[in-house]
Amino acid sequence: MNGSAARRTVVTGVGVVAPNGIGADVFWKATREGRFVLDRISREGCEHLPLTVAGEVRDFDPAAVVEERYLVQTDRFTHFALVAADQALADAALGPTSTFGVGVTTASCSGGGEFGQRELQNLWGKGPGFVGPYQSIAWFYAATTGQISIRGGFKGPCAVLANDEAGGLDALAHAVRTIRRGTDAVVVGAAEAPLAPYSMVCQLGYDALSLAADPARAYLPFTSAARGFAPAEGGAMFVVEEAESAHRRGARVRAEVLGHGATFTGTSGWGPSRHGLARAIRDALAEAECGPADIDVVFADALGTPEADHAEVLALSDALGARAARVPVTAPKAGIGRAYCGAPMLDCAAAILAMEHGVLPPTPGVFDVCHDLDLVTGRARAAEVRTALVLSRGLMGGNAALVLRRGEGRTDTP
Amino acid sequence: MNGPLTHEVLAEVMKSCAGVTARPEQLRDPDATFEQFGLDSLGLLGIVAELERRFEFPLGADVDQCKTPREFLETTNSQLISGV
Repeated sequence: MNGSAARRTVVTGVGVVAPNGIGADVFWKATREGRFVLDRISREGCEHLPLTVAGEVRDFDPAAVVEERYLVQTDRFTHFALVAADQALADAALGPTSTFGVGVTTASCSGGGEFGQRELQNLWGKGPGFVGPYQSIAWFYAATTGQISIRGGFKGPCAVLANDEAGGLDALAHAVRTIRRGTDAVVVGAAEAPLAPYSMVCQLGYDALSLAADPARAYLPFTSAARGFAPAEGGAMFVVEEAESAHRRGARVRAEVLGHGATFTGTSGWGPSRHGLARAIRDALAEAECGPADIDVVFADALGTPEADHAEVLALSDALGARAARVPVTAPKAGIGRAYCGAPMLDCAAAILAMEHGVLPPTPGVFDVCHDLDLVTGRARAAEVRTALVLSRGLMGGNAALVLRRGEGRTDTP
Repeated sequence: MNGPLTHEVLAEVMKSCAGVTARPEQLRDPDATFEQFGLDSLGLLGIVAELERRFEFPLGADVDQCKTPREFLETTNSQLISGV
């Protein structure tokens, strides 16, 4: 992505709605401290379900930020993204743009399940006349891209990736391609709201879902107690821009998107993800023109089953060689859960903040690592972090890797 | 609920169905358009469904094509009053 002739893509805005904080600064403080927020699910109507532990975004009031006419026609997953997009746009302080200069790209796994459930209950409980017309758009994976674009007046190329959890990283790569093809800026990211009864029932078929009732034991990646993952809601949105125009307008460049790789290895167990993830890492490094020694930190996928964790450790070893055992690896999502497509976006936000502050955030709640891995546990570590590798795997076989480079708009206060 | 549809009720369902704020006196302006309040076609569709439930009366296909509150009220009330 950084070939000399190619247009380069930089991140100039970051917006976060996460279980451990709303707003990039609040999120970073909690992430750096390793605050553990997995808890019993408190959403109404979920009490009887076997899934009981997740990362909920609490104290979220979309009505305080988003206009009512957008609220009534959108699901919670879109509310999260609208709020995160507002933050990212404010952060980027994007000036006047050409009519078709700004595009929107989001990724989604679960769509608007809560909205859809309400309207389908109206359908079967009361009749077709009781289904609101916004059902036609609100549940749909594309709703978030569409609403961000309409609300912001962004008429550039728009896209939606509905291709598994790793699609979050693929969305950023898609935005890079959009920039390369001539668009000035893209609002890009993902947010999910899978913690409502219908959406939760949909997840019960996932073998890797942790049904542990104790929040402290539910999601322990890279340990012998690994028993699956706890889901989460929320996500992150970014403003990415063509590097030269960002420099010209004096934007604070927070990071550069250097390289990406993606593969698909199917759903027949986690073993094959070793090779898929290794290939994605190699492709991302090659595009970034980086070697294993250039990687200062890995934000792991950290699925949290013994087989999946083992495959990820082997993938790192395959792709990074001897460096795999020495490079610091972290998984902040162990403290907040996996927000599906939102999860790798939150990892990208954490990676950008980690590079800016020179601090590696820990893996909350994880202590006894049973793999040959330098997992950052306990407390955050001070480190010179110039380049970060973010990994993501989906439950349906997608694998992706993304390389981010620190921007020059660095702040030295941790 | 019995007709006719009033500006007050229209303002209320514009708010509850489409999240659009319009005061009844603004809707009385003969030149007012739904567009100026930010009401889109899907929003109007929801308003028609809500009114059909309240009045227990089918309003037909033309109503959701109306572009102005004035036209909407006239079309709706002509049906409610004639009862066909």
